[in-house]
Amino acid sequence: MLISVRFHGRGGQGAVTASKLLAEVANSMGYYSQSMPFFGAERRGAPVISFTRISDEPIYEMSQVYHPNIVVVLDPLIMKVVDVFAGVKEGGTIVANTTKTPDEFVFSQRYLNIIAVDATGIAIKNDLLVAGLPVVNTPMLGALLRAQIPLEIEVLEGIVGKKFGEEGEKNVKAIREAYDLATVKLVRGSGKRKYPRKKKIKVEFPISTPSEGVAGKTKLWRDFRPKIDYEKCNNCLNCWLHCPESAIRLNEHVEIDYDYCKGCLVCTTVCPKKAITFEREVFADV
Amino acid sequence: MYEVKILTGNETAAYAAMNSKARVVAAYPITPVTPVVETISKLVEEGRMHAKFIRVESEHSAMAACIGASAAGSRAFTATSSHGLAYMHEMLHWATNARTPIVMAVANRAIGPGWNIWADLGDALSQRDTGWIQFYCSNNQEIYDTIAMAYKLAEDRKVLLPAMVCYDGFVLSHTSMPVELTEFDDFLSEYEPVWKLDAENPFTHGNILPPEDFAELRHNIQKSHDRALKLMKKIEEEFFELYGRRTPLILEEYKMEDAEKVIVTMGAIGSEAKVAVDSLREKKVKAGLVRLKSFRPFPEKELRNLLEDKKVYVFDRAISPGSGGPLYNELKSALAFSPVKRIIPKIVGIGGIDVTKRTFERAIFERKVWIKEVVS
Repeated sequence: MLISVRFHGRGGQGAVTASKLLAEVANSMGYYSQSMPFFGAERRGAPVISFTRISDEPIYEMSQVYHPNIVVVLDPLIMKVVDVFAGVKEGGTIVANTTKTPDEFVFSQRYLNIIAVDATGIAIKNDLLVAGLPVVNTPMLGALLRAQIPLEIEVLEGIVGKKFGEEGEKNVKAIREAYDLATVKLVRGSGKRKYPRKKKIKVEFPISTPSEGVAGKTKLWRDFRPKIDYEKCNNCLNCWLHCPESAIRLNEHVEIDYDYCKGCLVCTTVCPKKAITFEREVFADV
Repeated sequence: MYEVKILTGNETAAYAAMNSKARVVAAYPITPVTPVVETISKLVEEGRMHAKFIRVESEHSAMAACIGASAAGSRAFTATSSHGLAYMHEMLHWATNARTPIVMAVANRAIGPGWNIWADLGDALSQRDTGWIQFYCSNNQEIYDTIAMAYKLAEDRKVLLPAMVCYDGFVLSHTSMPVELTEFDDFLSEYEPVWKLDAENPFTHGNILPPEDFAELRHNIQKSHDRALKLMKKIEEEFFELYGRRTPLILEEYKMEDAEKVIVTMGAIGSEAKVAVDSLREKKVKAGLVRLKSFRPFPEKELRNLLEDKKVYVFDRAISPGSGGPLYNELKSALAFSPVKRIIPKIVGIGGIDVTKRTFERAIFERKVWIKEVVS
């Protein structure tokens, strides 16, 4: 038996921690386990993947997982930019943080088990926030245990409760809620699997020229939307100076470029006039 | 008694330094080895590790501080990677010639530009002539055991050489797996230096040396490397008797009894290679694996004995431009006069390209030397 799990999330959501916690749960139940994050130029909000392997025999694989049994999607918007279904085995499982129902998922496998849970809602309800952002990794592990996986929720609760100290109780409650509230359904897909052609990249010497938005329109990274109250703003430029993404423009007044603002909210804290407030972002078009 | 913890390669290296009783740590952070430095400074701060942690302004200074600490009679530890290791280069020679048995963790990473933070053994392999003992690990337990074993070997009076314990950046440095955190009390006692700098009894070392004496010094270093190889076998045995773990120092064999086609490689991909050997055997290919652990000293005789009459595929996760894979070249010269059927170079995993069992299979079934994509 070798179960492989792939986690999709964004930097700061705790995908790497979730992957390691799962390995710890498996290990404490007597299985061999391994947790392998993939690191790029990681920043808060950037797409992140991590892998967990669980086996009853020693694990010698030291490569990434390309054909997972289970995929955990921590961020509802990440499906817009990453193909989370890629390589998932027929009859495999997708555990998604979403407000959608399992039937709304579209994929090219013939059948997949879809486990849908509103982990963001559960995190906000249980006050699981770090730097104001909802932390969904522990409730997502709760939902994951509804999949075909020989791990017990009591063991997960025990490890999380011990590890997170004062925050432990809230996390354990969120895990149990996600486990209970998740909807599990076997869903039919199109059955027409696409095999993407490999891109040939030829670079003789690494040269890059200045350009705008090489990572695409990064507004999708945003959980919260900052807003400038121009009645209070005295145009001191403090926000413009501190914005790590240069997403505050200098026109007549400072202006937030909502195509690229990642919602880090640095501007709201550096504004001496408290002229920048924020609210939860809801994208009409996603 | 020991506990089993799920640890990354970096955390493992830090715990190994603690349990090996390293008393001075001077290090400078660099991706992907930074968590070693972070974990050690935390362990020192919490009072669990009894060591002096020295913050330095560069890797060159880190090694200089370790040499000073070792010369003053302390067990010294540091960790670095890639550009940091390159920056340390001058001091690496110094540590060898001064006979300071420092142990260093190296998370192998490519060297830029073409900015790349991922696994590539080129950083450590380009330090092969510095006189350091070099081990390449293939899982986290091995990192843990090897650091303690490296101290035992490096500090032996027949050896007295510094040692690098290398592991693939990210692939091992950031991957978590179960590690038995054995205490090394029965295996390693406090460091007892042969000589040490002492203000009460002043003397100097590293001063001017005429040609004949310098040749003698260099010859002695070569002889120490030869003796280190013999000692490694003893240390492997002693370690096995104490802790029940067969942690190789020289090399590891896998399904070699009847093997015809043999993979030779080092590092983390040497673990993946076991999966490849199993998969090849399912396809009726009599495959085997020799995973080299000690690159310096290079175990010529052991390799010759194992690889006679075999078809040998050498997988390098590094390239010496203008020549070829460093391991391939070393092995070719070691096997020059032995009846090996063929020795075939393969270059894989450069700059962190993921190496899967299918990478090995494709490399063996196809004629290409370079595999420059992920074979998933």
